Amino acid sequence: MVRFFLERDRVADLVKHLMERRTVYAPHRKGRRSFAFARTADPAAVVLDYPRTLHSVKKFFLPPREELLRFDLTDDTFAAGEPEPSGAAFLGVHSYDVAAVRRLDHNFSAGNAERNYLVRRQGAVFIGVGFEPDKFHFSGSVGIEPDDTAGCDAFLTKLLDGYVLEILTPTGRELLKGLELPPYEGNDPPAHPFQQHIYVPQSRLGRIMDKSYEHPVWAEASRTCVGCGTCNLVCPTCYCFDVQDHVDITATGGSRERTWDGCMLRGFSEVAGGEVFREGLPERQRHRVLRKFKYLSDTTGVPWCVGCGRCTAACPAGISIANIVNRLVGDAERTPVAPI
Amino acid sequence: MTRKPRVAIFDFTGCEGCELNQLNFEDQLLDILAHVDIVEWREAMDDRAGEYDIAFVEGSLSTPDCIKRIHDVRRRAKVLVALGTCAVTGGVNAVKNTRPIEEVREEVYGQDKYLFPTLPALPLSAVVKVDHNVRGCPMTQIEFLKVFTALVMGKRPIEPDYAVCVECKLRENECVLERGMICLGPVTRAGCDAHCPTVGQYCIGCRGLVSEPNIAGMEEILVDHGLSLDDARRRLQLYNANQLEGAK
Repeated sequence: MVRFFLERDRVADLVKHLMERRTVYAPHRKGRRSFAFARTADPAAVVLDYPRTLHSVKKFFLPPREELLRFDLTDDTFAAGEPEPSGAAFLGVHSYDVAAVRRLDHNFSAGNAERNYLVRRQGAVFIGVGFEPDKFHFSGSVGIEPDDTAGCDAFLTKLLDGYVLEILTPTGRELLKGLELPPYEGNDPPAHPFQQHIYVPQSRLGRIMDKSYEHPVWAEASRTCVGCGTCNLVCPTCYCFDVQDHVDITATGGSRERTWDGCMLRGFSEVAGGEVFREGLPERQRHRVLRKFKYLSDTTGVPWCVGCGRCTAACPAGISIANIVNRLVGDAERTPVAPI
Repeated sequence: MTRKPRVAIFDFTGCEGCELNQLNFEDQLLDILAHVDIVEWREAMDDRAGEYDIAFVEGSLSTPDCIKRIHDVRRRAKVLVALGTCAVTGGVNAVKNTRPIEEVREEVYGQDKYLFPTLPALPLSAVVKVDHNVRGCPMTQIEFLKVFTALVMGKRPIEPDYAVCVECKLRENECVLERGMICLGPVTRAGCDAHCPTVGQYCIGCRGLVSEPNIAGMEEILVDHGLSLDDARRRLQLYNANQLEGAK
């Protein structure tokens, strides 16, 4: 493992170096107190010390809105969109967001491979950065530490006066070649503790969820839930979408558009004939949580929640997914689990 | 298509802002006219017609005469589209419904109140069958054109039934509540592409509520963000007086 010392004043040099070689997407300030990944134009605008971005880097591979094809009604033909490989350097990504991309890779390649996502995903280089957990992060409880480098080509760990830059893959080495930095020979910087936790590992959560289908927590969590769908839409591992056709005003053609969707929204479970098969917010809330800790997790062994805390931080009603899960854990632990 | 659909546009109680917005479609007006004949439109032309394929109706119903006229429009129209929030929910006009009707009448018309019969402001759907809605105060061109195009194509227009929050998230807007403002986006029906939050404003709920709103939950959110319960209710009432009355 090759480690270098990147002095704080030289972070801009790193950004410039990357910009000369690749398109760079990095966290920037957005609004009054938020952050968002954006294409970097000015190295000084990049923010490496941030709690979380509004959306994860998912948005670059699965855009919120995407034209899938254009059709022509005069001759009944269509042309599918041609997505391009991102080939970009994603700088300053937190470990849980890289972990989320790896889960999406599974979602979009297992079974029917999804071309648009997989093409965009090609050539993406991740330069991670450590983070200091705030009151919403709990990724440590789902096996993702702040300094977890899995999936990264290089990784930055914050020191008082700069960063340790660790090169992890040949791609990372190639990309950072020519950036003259002194080696880092100090100790590992101390890890930051989490303030929020889920109290049991995924290996036990699946069975706890089995027992919790009729638990009162679903109704309780829905008391202040307004079903706005924010929790789904900010989730880095949610990947559901809706597809609609739009006809141009000339009525000679139009486009087929794919848009992010979410299981907390009423229309999501409305099917032909107008029936809504998950009628109330409690059923939708339960489905959301089971999607993160049971359904996909039972087959893959890992939770589909990466503990970024976005759904909780962004919820207008302050509903906490960690609190819901811990409530189920607490009740299940008090009740003996029936032998299988 | 053998003949172009005949379109008529009507107004009831409202500011006519939605209709004015239609006249502002300078870039699309010729395309619109390529597909339809506009046969009656008081705000823009003198002609009157007998029957129409599509009637676009703006405004709420607030007088006995309105009721008579809307029945007449409905009889002549194959498809009736409510245009703008007044027509869809009763809109701002319905705030008067929260007070005794005689008190409102006296406040507005004083001693002449007997010359002006008035009713609680109602959405069109309270009196006649409404086939489709174009929401907004005023309605937006984008949405009007979507509904219009669908109808011309003989398709059912899709009316969004999710909150403005969804559109804010699709645009990656910083949350309005995060900016210290009060926002009705979480229970307000989308379709505006989160126009106000995107330009730095908050959502006042001008498009009416989603179909199954959790009003108590929303009130609690507003109270948590600093409003008194009374203020929270007034805020929600501005465009939803009829719906909230019904919900009680």
